[in-house]
Amino acid sequence: MKKRPYVLASSLALALAVTGCGGGGGASSNSGGGETTKAAQENQASDDSGQDQADNSGQEAAGSADRDISCTITLATWDVAAAKTFDELDLEGRFQELYPNVTIDIEEFNAEPEYFNSMKIRSSASELPDLMFHKSDSMNQYKEYLVDLTDTAANKDNQIASEYAIDGKVYGIPDRKANDYVYYWTDLFEEAGVSVPETWDEFVQVSETLQQHFGASDPEFAAICMGAKDAWPTYPLMEYGPASESGDGYYWDFMTTEDAPFAEGTAIRTVYTKIFNLFQKGVLGADPLGVTYDQSRALFAKKKGAMVLNSPMFLTAYLADGYDPAGLETFYLPFRDSKDDPFNLVTQGDCFLTVTQHSENPEVARAFLEFYYSDAWYPDYIASISSDSTMNSFPKELDPVLQTASKLQPDVTFVTYGAGESDFIHMVSETKFDCKELGVEMLTEGFDLDARFDELDAVWTEARSKLGL
Amino acid sequence: MNRNSRKRLCFLGLSLIIPVILLAVFVVYPFWELIYMSFLEWDGVASIRPFIGGANYRQLFFKSPEFWQAFRNNLTYLLIHGLMMPLELVLAVVLSSRFKGANFVKAVIFLPFIINGVGISYSFSYFFSPVEGGFNYLLTKLGLGGFIQSWLSDPKIVNYVLSSVSIWRYMGFHIVLFMAGLASVPEDIMDAAVVDGANAWQRLRFIQIPAIRTVIDFMLFDVINGSLQMFDIPYIMTSGGPNGASNTFSIYTIDTAFKYNNFGLASSMAVIMIAMIVAVQLIQRYITSRIRRKEGHYA
Repeated sequence: MKKRPYVLASSLALALAVTGCGGGGGASSNSGGGETTKAAQENQASDDSGQDQADNSGQEAAGSADRDISCTITLATWDVAAAKTFDELDLEGRFQELYPNVTIDIEEFNAEPEYFNSMKIRSSASELPDLMFHKSDSMNQYKEYLVDLTDTAANKDNQIASEYAIDGKVYGIPDRKANDYVYYWTDLFEEAGVSVPETWDEFVQVSETLQQHFGASDPEFAAICMGAKDAWPTYPLMEYGPASESGDGYYWDFMTTEDAPFAEGTAIRTVYTKIFNLFQKGVLGADPLGVTYDQSRALFAKKKGAMVLNSPMFLTAYLADGYDPAGLETFYLPFRDSKDDPFNLVTQGDCFLTVTQHSENPEVARAFLEFYYSDAWYPDYIASISSDSTMNSFPKELDPVLQTASKLQPDVTFVTYGAGESDFIHMVSETKFDCKELGVEMLTEGFDLDARFDELDAVWTEARSKLGL
Repeated sequence: MNRNSRKRLCFLGLSLIIPVILLAVFVVYPFWELIYMSFLEWDGVASIRPFIGGANYRQLFFKSPEFWQAFRNNLTYLLIHGLMMPLELVLAVVLSSRFKGANFVKAVIFLPFIINGVGISYSFSYFFSPVEGGFNYLLTKLGLGGFIQSWLSDPKIVNYVLSSVSIWRYMGFHIVLFMAGLASVPEDIMDAAVVDGANAWQRLRFIQIPAIRTVIDFMLFDVINGSLQMFDIPYIMTSGGPNGASNTFSIYTIDTAFKYNNFGLASSMAVIMIAMIVAVQLIQRYITSRIRRKEGHYA
């Protein structure tokens, strides 16, 4: 298998070349501990009503393309850990048991932004790879270049692919799903005399207590290790907050129907005000904007931080770095105000495998996709990463560290998250609204939240008018 | 026209046509496309690209405070590099004199320029880090812990910190250029000035600076051009943050294109940048030619 790493420098060069300078539709309820299997069973039941059960045996799922065809298919990903797994589990070798003369060229990018920057340029040159991974929001943007996968066996067996359909068509099959966790050190919690919070106010209180207890003797200590210098680590709060607060996974799309979505009383204003007040208490450490995500992870590993908010990918990377998970447990971030309120937990599909229309061998690419989600590959693959399975036929048991969260909070309402459809993408282009950057703004000195809400409402109204929404 | 002349003309024509084709394909056509794209509304992916006239330019000038902030940040680099030029010249004069270890000092000063800019930026981002950062460690060891700041996250100082890294990187290059210019000043003129009783300042003011005016012109253009296009240091050290406080024109252009999916607007920014550089160059030429005329030197 040929692997092609694309380094930062090449992407920057491309970027420079271009500049010339050198309502609640996503909520589903679940009760009980084993979130994975139960959610899978529920979705299975709904799928069975309208669709045929998919056949996932490797041979049959791998499509009807000519088995003797000789070609190379390209597969692009930003997930370095997944690319490593492709190599370790011999993705190419397994596929060659079905298609002996097909080689797989893995195009590996070291970060998501570089990946999509490159793909944008390649899409305009009609040179997209045969298969590429997508985020839920990026599929919207690229839909005209993607093949409709609605009738694939992979789609029929997938729990959540249909929830990300665009205009009724499924363009990508998510290979994992995940919700976020608060990773925490049990011994630090014990030492500070705090317990796992169940409401937002309790979460704030726990954070403050931890900061006061450990921060007094260690100026580098942060109750919450955020790494906000990179902006994106603020996403569990800034991106998922509105969905969790409102119980609407498609809150961004709802916002495109409003002229003043940041007005008093709106879910986004309420939750952002909560987050801002949390930040004001200094629980992210002395200089949260000076610390990168990698640094914050290292600080957490050294117990110079008590909590980290992140997805299961954090655990994968943490373990891959050789850190010891002993004493590490998780809980779900409670946005709710009262224990009587439902515990909304945002969950979303990720790494959507798509087939592009630029593929020179669309049948083989499609066959590869079917193979990818068949028992010839998927069960071993999903077992090697921390995230949860999306396939009805292959449920998995989560890592013990992640299981602690569902044991602590067994009654949750899953809110399936959508990152925004085309109207929202256009609004972002027009208004330059970036929820994660807004999180960074909240951490800057002298930031006036109310003024910022007014400003956002003003540009939002203008943008809607311009776009005719 | 004889046979030899025809051959020479044919050879000349062929020699020129290849560079002209390359120039047309790789410079003129992309530039034309860039200008055309600046009048479009395009997200970088969609096959439909509506023509919107000068809307992108209007948005930039009248509805984009971030644009002006980025421009101000570029001016900070320009100002600081400009202020450093006299010091660089003085250091070049000092280093041009013969003293023991001069070559070693020259090599050390020039070294940062030949180190990869990405590597420098990463090194300094850790150097100024609040967590186990070298600079804070030094300050603490020197008993100056009270001066510790949020070097890369305080909007009030971040551009100066980044400018200092830029100075560190480019100072050696500038000094070497000045030294090359100073080496071209005839020694007998300098000796005669000494015999006539001219002091070091007078020799610098009336002999060396006029003699290296071409070098100074080039340096000014390089500093203006480099400052307006500053990218690698702020992009790697702060990504333009916090909250856009260290955004430069280039970073803002790239964010507009790739983060906010607005290639039309980004293209208009690129066009403006090119126009600014050309304008500055023309103004600089005009001013220097006026000075030369005034002093009796004709270009």
